[in-house]
Amino acid sequence: MPKIDFNGISKTFGSNTVIRRFNASVEDGEFLVLLGPSGCGKSTLLRMIAGLADISGGDLLFDSQRANDWSPKERGVAFVFQSYALYPHMTVRSNIAFPLVMAAFRKWHHIPLVNMVQRWRVMQQPEVKAAVERIAEQLELTALLDRRPGSLSGGQRQRVALARSLVRDPSLYLLDEPLSNLDAKLRTQMRSEITTLHQKVKKTFVYVTHDQVEAMTMATRIVVMNSGIIQQIGTPDEIYDTPANTFVARFVGAPPMNLIPVQIVGDELSAEGIGWTHCGGTPERANSAIFGIRPEKMTISATGDGRMPGTVAVIERLGAETILGCRLGDGEYGGISTENLVFVRMPGHPPLGLGAACTLDYDDADAVWFDKPTGQRVTPLPATATPEAASAL
Amino acid sequence: MKNAPLTAALRALLIVVLVTFAGFPIYWMASTALNVNAQLYNTGQVPWLQFGNLPELFRELVELPLLRWLFNTGLIAGGTTALSLTMGSILGYALSRFRFHGRGMIGFLMFMTQVIPEALLVVPLYAMFITMGLLNSLWGLVLANVGFSLPVAAFILKSAMDAIPYEIEESATIDNCPRVGILTFIILPLIAPSLAAAAVISFFAGWNEFLFAATFLMDRELWPTSVGLASFIGQYETPLSAVMGAALVFSLPAVAFFLLVQRKIVAGLTSGAVKG
Repeated sequence: MPKIDFNGISKTFGSNTVIRRFNASVEDGEFLVLLGPSGCGKSTLLRMIAGLADISGGDLLFDSQRANDWSPKERGVAFVFQSYALYPHMTVRSNIAFPLVMAAFRKWHHIPLVNMVQRWRVMQQPEVKAAVERIAEQLELTALLDRRPGSLSGGQRQRVALARSLVRDPSLYLLDEPLSNLDAKLRTQMRSEITTLHQKVKKTFVYVTHDQVEAMTMATRIVVMNSGIIQQIGTPDEIYDTPANTFVARFVGAPPMNLIPVQIVGDELSAEGIGWTHCGGTPERANSAIFGIRPEKMTISATGDGRMPGTVAVIERLGAETILGCRLGDGEYGGISTENLVFVRMPGHPPLGLGAACTLDYDDADAVWFDKPTGQRVTPLPATATPEAASAL
Repeated sequence: MKNAPLTAALRALLIVVLVTFAGFPIYWMASTALNVNAQLYNTGQVPWLQFGNLPELFRELVELPLLRWLFNTGLIAGGTTALSLTMGSILGYALSRFRFHGRGMIGFLMFMTQVIPEALLVVPLYAMFITMGLLNSLWGLVLANVGFSLPVAAFILKSAMDAIPYEIEESATIDNCPRVGILTFIILPLIAPSLAAAAVISFFAGWNEFLFAATFLMDRELWPTSVGLASFIGQYETPLSAVMGAALVFSLPAVAFFLLVQRKIVAGLTSGAVKG
């Protein structure tokens, strides 16, 4: 199984640069997810790995060998397309067996009729039959082998596409938003099926998605991209807990991380007309910064024993938990706009209604800080070491 | 929907009128073939089918080199179809999938071939065929007909190929299918209806060939049926029943071919008309 290295890979279409100097590596057996919004270049990157798109600059290395000019065949990859790209005129069996039939293809098989006979003969070979049936059984497609893709449901087509990529036993699997055409329930089911499959086959998977839930649940490592530039590379936990910048903080998590621009004076923070004391340390030499905190790290109460007063503006009851959007300050809850809301995720059904006064609080250690001009995460100084704290001592 | 029966009856009536309108010449052809010449020229045509005259008609037809002419017609039509579809598939694929300089110009020139009347090209083609040694050759006629049917076939196939998602081809590339294989194993089976439509257009262009055949072929042995039939029309006498009998026989293979591919055609001609 190859280790893949991207050394300053870039891709341009005319004067439009889609990917800029992409540097990363994919380790053997890894489930790497390329995560980003539509148009960020993640699918283009996947197509460059497969050999379906040319590389404009930099080197793509397969086991330290430059593979920029290798054909898809030489790369030995499997690719699952967003639209499945099954062959509509072939049965499921022929679809799955197609890569094996092509592996036995010789130039003289191009002769009309000869190719029909040859393809039929390869299909009849015991090892081909056995391989198709084994994969079909693995993906619960045995009963559908003689049907055509047109008569299958989305989930079944997806499994056929997976089966077709599995049958060749390639070392690298590339999946381009394979679940985006499925309904929510099926997506959840296929998500766990693909994860199980990865654990079973122990091959390298590179998976493209714009859905952060898919990325968080399936990946062993995530590359977050935006406008063709890597924003952060890390494990799902790293990406979630310590986002490298405000883009990652907003993109990963639903609802996203609360990002509140605050003015800092010593341990005192102020925003939206309210002030509160924060003892967990603030960025060095900054009088303003972006204060970030995940919704589930916040608490809300109607009794007033919290540091940040607010008004409930949005309530989303999800059954097991409730998401509350609060507007900081004592005023009106501000109509339907969800801008500048601070979200709180709470288990159960909190007894709060729209427009109710509340107070928010958090554990100081859970706060994440970002530089205001650049949006990059900054490490706060410990509370006791801030200049104001030092001068007070 | 209280007018439903009335609408249905009107629809049925309209169908009957249209079928009668379109089918009457064929009936008249059969009726003429089953009249004897004496009747036609003296007492007037008997409008119904006189099956009693079948042996007489058969005797007249066996005297003609009809099989030879049909064979020639078949060769021209078959050759035109085979060559148009083969070259049309490759041309259509290139126009559909590749971006290259002069692509628009090629499309324009292909349309131009449909604008120029055949008769205008008889003399230049005659001169060309003399130089190339294709005069008095059925293959020359095949080439001349392909010149007219290829652009139409290529455009029909190109439109059908445009509708096939590119991802299917990429998928085949990943599955190690060679480029020619992608065309023959994947694309062509998917555009079978359009292939059938293009086949019908090319086949009938060759089957109905008259002008070039009458001009370029000197040997009676090489004539297609259309030229053979025309040769009966004399200044003083035309054996109408034999001409119509031969015309009937001439129509049968064409009808058979059409029936063979007609199920595929409607889908082919309307492909791309609606979002699938």
